[in-house]
Amino acid sequence: MKQTLTQSMAWLHTWGGLVVGWLLFVIFLTGSLAVFDQEIDNWMHPELPAHHLSNEQAVDTALNYLRAHKPDAKQWGISLPYERSPELQASTGGRRDGVSVTLDPATGEVLPVRETVGGRFFFLFHFTLHMPGLLGIYLVGALAMGMLAALVSGIVIHKKFFKEFFTFRPAKGQRSWLDAHNASAVLLLPFHLMITYSGLAIFLVIYMPAAMDALFDGNREAFFKAQDPAPAVLEIERPQAAGPAPLVAVGPLLAKAREVMGPLSGVNITNPGQSNAQIQIRPILGNRIALTKGQGMRFDGVTGEQLSGPTEMRSTVLTHRVISGLHFAQFGGYPMRWLYFVCGLISSAMIASGLVLFTVKRRRKYASESRAGQVFYRLVEAINVTVMAGLSLACIGLLWGNHLLPVALKERADAELNVFFGVWALSLVHALLRPRMQAWREQLGLAGLMCLGLPLLSMFTVDRPWALHSRTGVELTALVLGTMLLWACWKVSQPVVERVPRKKTAAMVEVN
Amino acid sequence: MLADFFAGWAFAYLGMLALCQGLERHYKQLWHKVPPVSLRHSLRAAGWLSLGLSLYFCVQAWGWAMGPVGWFGMLSLSGFGLLMLLPYRPRLAVWLPLGFAPVWAMITTLT
Repeated sequence: MKQTLTQSMAWLHTWGGLVVGWLLFVIFLTGSLAVFDQEIDNWMHPELPAHHLSNEQAVDTALNYLRAHKPDAKQWGISLPYERSPELQASTGGRRDGVSVTLDPATGEVLPVRETVGGRFFFLFHFTLHMPGLLGIYLVGALAMGMLAALVSGIVIHKKFFKEFFTFRPAKGQRSWLDAHNASAVLLLPFHLMITYSGLAIFLVIYMPAAMDALFDGNREAFFKAQDPAPAVLEIERPQAAGPAPLVAVGPLLAKAREVMGPLSGVNITNPGQSNAQIQIRPILGNRIALTKGQGMRFDGVTGEQLSGPTEMRSTVLTHRVISGLHFAQFGGYPMRWLYFVCGLISSAMIASGLVLFTVKRRRKYASESRAGQVFYRLVEAINVTVMAGLSLACIGLLWGNHLLPVALKERADAELNVFFGVWALSLVHALLRPRMQAWREQLGLAGLMCLGLPLLSMFTVDRPWALHSRTGVELTALVLGTMLLWACWKVSQPVVERVPRKKTAAMVEVN
Repeated sequence: MLADFFAGWAFAYLGMLALCQGLERHYKQLWHKVPPVSLRHSLRAAGWLSLGLSLYFCVQAWGWAMGPVGWFGMLSLSGFGLLMLLPYRPRLAVWLPLGFAPVWAMITTLT
């Protein structure tokens, strides 16, 4: 039988959406949490004190520590506290084999902080799904393609795109789910398209390696090197022979770098104490939209002379960096972060409403299905509960695990992950065993209560729970999200509204 | 700065509200009568104008590079807020903007 375009698109949207929807929800929810990764990280490191060290004081503190304890290291690294994080770290060694410690801003000595996966986990998880190697990245890429397909097919099959732009009719069963799905998709369409496309574009070299293979024989190093423009004008050839020489005062260099690049994130010193010492100063990522990873200014470590400035990116590279930057959302300060966070949550809700719609639409037909069909729908319902309520439970469970596991535990970060995945696995078992609505209610309720209990948990397990604004912020946000989860739980507990006959519906609209 | 963020959001909401009331379905939902064509047109014009003002304030707050990005976010979120408010508290959705001016004045004096 020949189908119309709308019919085939509807089929694609329904079944394609179901296949990719579960993992997309996981990606969107953890990705939204990753917007506040640093704030969650601060919460997961309750030992970090608040302080008001300037960049200069922080660098002095770190240098004193490094001079005293690691005078022979080839490479010193200092990661500076900034608006979002109070953590001052000193490290030795390169990027791969480096060892870093957190310093107490008051005493300059090592500050013992608990081992934790940290807020970074949500960031890493949302594009690797905790899979080995590049597997997760490939899978997430395929899912992003699926998301784009679902978006486009969704636009095609949505018959009243503008007419129902603001339409939401609650308490009408399937109709309400469809309204919520449509409206959240349409109103946030710019965000959906932007975040999905830019997410794909970040890994363009991994997903589409053909150009790199053809032009650089697959040599990644050469490819990245070619992205840099010709050596900066300020590049100066310096003698290779080295002898001991004192390090230049870093303070004035910091001031200069800040003037050029904005707020700073870190300082790297190669060959400290030698005549060929070099100082590299990096900006934080959010000073502009384009992602400035690996950018910075270099100075001679003895004379303080500037060796290279922040290089101008080639326009092709800049384009890619701006698209990536739009996804990373490091720019625009906290107002922009909140916009991304809320938009991300609504996106997650949009995907969730689509998944729920799939089952709501078919529930009435379950009974007449074959045995295999019934098992299939039962499974879909259970996975829906696990993916939506279960993941929320696992995320808040991770935070509880962070505070409740003994601080001295060996391989503590792994133990936290075991909590996360353990809770999630239990939620699947629970969803398979319990009747559908009970499973929803219990998991949503528990997740909501755990969110609401977060401040209490801090009060009883941590010394000074609200020393940092960011920690208080995490808990206040958890309170709001917990309230919403409990509201959802309450909604689920309400008796199902029977389909009202058409005429009566019309009358109700009049009354409203 | 904060006042600009707020103004950006407020005008986005106002614009979305005007565009929404410019649609027959939603005008009837509130006022139980069919809007005259002239009113619908002026509501739409006012809506677009307000969205333009919202862009202006977003650019004031974030600059020309980031402003438009934030503007799209404001449009989406104010529209979504309106969507959620309409079926539950339709009158509040319409009268809410009256509260914007005092809030804006308060933010300006406090910051």
